[in-house]
Amino acid sequence: MRFLHSLRGTNLPATLGVVVIAAVTLVLPEVLNPPDLITYVTIGLATVVVAGLSLLMGFAGQVSLGQAAFYGFGAYAAAILAMHGWPPLLALVAAAAMTAAIAGIVGALLLRLEGHALAFGTLALQLIFLSVISQTPSFSGGPIGLTNIPALSLGPIALSSYRSYAYFVWIVTAVVLLLSRNITRSRPGRGLRAMATSPSAASAAGVNVVSYKLRDFALSAAYAGLAGGIYAFFIGYLSPDAFPVMLSIQFLIMVVVGGLGTVSGAFVGAAVITVVAQMLTSLGSAPSLPAQLPTVLTEGVYAVILLLLLRLMPDGIVGFASRVTKRLESAVPARRARRQAVAATGSESVLGPPAAETVDGTCAGRRQ
Amino acid sequence: MLAVDGLVVRYGAAVALDGVSLEVGRGEMVALIGANGAGKTTLLNTLSGILAPSTGTIRCAGRLAHVPEGRELFPDLCVDDNLRLGAWKADSHDPSQVYDLFPKLRDLSRRKAGYLSGGEQQMVAIGRALMAKPDLLAIDELSQGLAPIVVQEIGRYLVQLNARTGLSVLLVEQNARLAFGLCPRAYVLETGSIAAHGPSARLWDEPAVQSAYLGGHVTT
Amino acid sequence: MSVLVQYLITGVSRGFLFALLATGFVIIFRVTKVVNFAQGSFAVLGGFIAYSLLGAGVPQGAAEVLAVLASAAIGLVFGAVTILGKMSPTASLVTTIGLALFSEAAAMLIWGTTPLTYNGLSGHDIRVAGIFVQPQYLLLIGVSLVSLIILWLVLDRTYVGKAMTACASNPYAARLSGINVKRMGLLSFAIGGALGGIGGVLIMPLFPITYDGDVNLAILGFAAAIVGWLRSPGLALAGGLIFGVAEELVAGYWSEANETAVALVLMILILLWQAHRRQRVEKLV
Repeated sequence: MRFLHSLRGTNLPATLGVVVIAAVTLVLPEVLNPPDLITYVTIGLATVVVAGLSLLMGFAGQVSLGQAAFYGFGAYAAAILAMHGWPPLLALVAAAAMTAAIAGIVGALLLRLEGHALAFGTLALQLIFLSVISQTPSFSGGPIGLTNIPALSLGPIALSSYRSYAYFVWIVTAVVLLLSRNITRSRPGRGLRAMATSPSAASAAGVNVVSYKLRDFALSAAYAGLAGGIYAFFIGYLSPDAFPVMLSIQFLIMVVVGGLGTVSGAFVGAAVITVVAQMLTSLGSAPSLPAQLPTVLTEGVYAVILLLLLRLMPDGIVGFASRVTKRLESAVPARRARRQAVAATGSESVLGPPAAETVDGTCAGRRQ
Repeated sequence: MLAVDGLVVRYGAAVALDGVSLEVGRGEMVALIGANGAGKTTLLNTLSGILAPSTGTIRCAGRLAHVPEGRELFPDLCVDDNLRLGAWKADSHDPSQVYDLFPKLRDLSRRKAGYLSGGEQQMVAIGRALMAKPDLLAIDELSQGLAPIVVQEIGRYLVQLNARTGLSVLLVEQNARLAFGLCPRAYVLETGSIAAHGPSARLWDEPAVQSAYLGGHVTT
Repeated sequence: MSVLVQYLITGVSRGFLFALLATGFVIIFRVTKVVNFAQGSFAVLGGFIAYSLLGAGVPQGAAEVLAVLASAAIGLVFGAVTILGKMSPTASLVTTIGLALFSEAAAMLIWGTTPLTYNGLSGHDIRVAGIFVQPQYLLLIGVSLVSLIILWLVLDRTYVGKAMTACASNPYAARLSGINVKRMGLLSFAIGGALGGIGGVLIMPLFPITYDGDVNLAILGFAAAIVGWLRSPGLALAGGLIFGVAEELVAGYWSEANETAVALVLMILILLWQAHRRQRVEKLV
């Protein structure tokens, strides 16, 4: 019943779209073949990570370049715990919690700093993580990695087929997205949104900016850790190569493509970029082409996507689509439609221009 | 000197100025009083080009210099540098005229602006604006955070400046008594529109102005 | 003992490289409030351009100078893409990330994946504190020091420099004084580009660079800048030297694979210390 109440105030086409996509994705595992099931699971896990990152970027206005590190940390933590006899499900939850704790410590340090220190700080964290993992073979398997990770089992049921993992991932993703939706709509959500566009205004209004940013950062890490843990069980094998810096950047691009702070944007961004990445890799890997082409192609295309989107579609695909549908529903006065669009997508375009009409682009006033 | 007509300024969906019209003649000292949030700073920011209006016109026959609320100096630069930077758009960077006007600043010329008292900072802020060789000086909240005696002194300097050089002054204030005392003509700004205007002496007597801005108990 | 001196000299040279990058970060951040993720790319591209110019026959010295000018121009372009128009700080940061990615892809496309290097200052090794040092090290230290001093003088003593400082400390008031803050921002990007280029051009003869070297350089440059709270070039210089020397000592006495990680842990420790100091100040106030 509460779920139906929370639907009040949504725009109908978007909700219908979500229901349709949910239904289709629920049925898909039945018909997909194993390679595509792997893609399916990949998209699902990426959605979970991106949901967290999107929350962080869209609401706390902070950029993290270390989500792959949290993803990897969750993966290794879950794997190592499971290999030491922990029930896999418990290991999964513990991994997510531990990831959140690490983020809390690092965030407490970095979020005090002005500007986007978190971006570099999390990148540093990523590099440290990769270094540590590669250098401690007895613990983490070193550069060769961990093998023979036990399968994920929910009580007596062990997930053994790709298909069963796909369903499990669907459930987790759906729960995570619903949770995010609740967060974006609750009062803390709105306080966070204000923070992204104007931290000084938000703190003047009584929002404890630092603690919300920290909570948001830890939550995004928890999401990534959870997804990483599932990844470990799914693949059954881990190595440092699976968590490069490029992966963090990929998550970032997924957020921008989907739309900051939007819940459905996490899925859209994850799906689009995963498909694009696979296309680029196969395109660049034809036997006659030079070996470095896939990387050049991928980085180049990612760069162009980022730069173009930031200028032309800072709201991402979801934000853009939302604006377009609102304009089409011309029966509704423009101002009310815009307010509805903002409420539905939950973002006031942190990537867009600042609120006040300033001619030189800096908000006239004291420095924050 | 300055003619503003039907100025409308928005912050997103909120309207900060709703059709403001006012005039400042050559050599005039004109006051604009209003409470916090009335739109005074928005108006000045629009006049000096920081904000862009949605509609309306601004016609200025000369150069306008804006002395911002809270002084807004460059705290790590010394007084002399603060003054010289005010002349960024002017021909001469020579601050000697400002030192003639505010002799106290001469001794402070090498001190960092962040270490000055409120009154000294206000003099530097006005001096910096004057370095641009303006025809109209717009001052936002001259009295803010300053002791009354200091405000009086600076007010005297302004009147002298106006009398000697014909510099027009637009004094934007919450402190109606100060504003009416220095300027023969005034406007009253309330929630984005001009609520009243005319000779200061007449506005002083109006009951609405009395109760809102002058404490309500003063009789002429 | 002589091994230690060797490490110190190498460490100080790399430290100056980080300091150059860090100063670039600081200048760009102070004027535009943007953390420029592409700062390392300036060094890589500058070095590679010098490499190509030398390969094309441009004389030693002229090639390096041209490469630095090219880096400044690249900085200007990056700045334009990042700050012109209405961009929020987050959008600007992500834009610089996109630009860094783009630079990597372009570098890989044009110059390939093998590490590149060229001959530095030729001549006999010079004797310093009991060991023989390649002249290129001294060139690096010397030119970096001179560049930083010149920059400091320009910012502190010239009218334009003071205008930049003004933009950095109070953009609103700068705007009111008629200073074009956006133009100053572009200038700061050009300076950042030049500083990065100087670093890249000078370091390539000593430590070969690959197309993806920008990330490591950027991160350590940023770490050094953070020591100065992203505001003080002097502290950034100190930070750069600390990290440069620390890296070399770790690489020498422990293992090369750990050098970056240790530097970063050091950065976190410094951040901890800074946070602690700020807390104490806040308690006193």
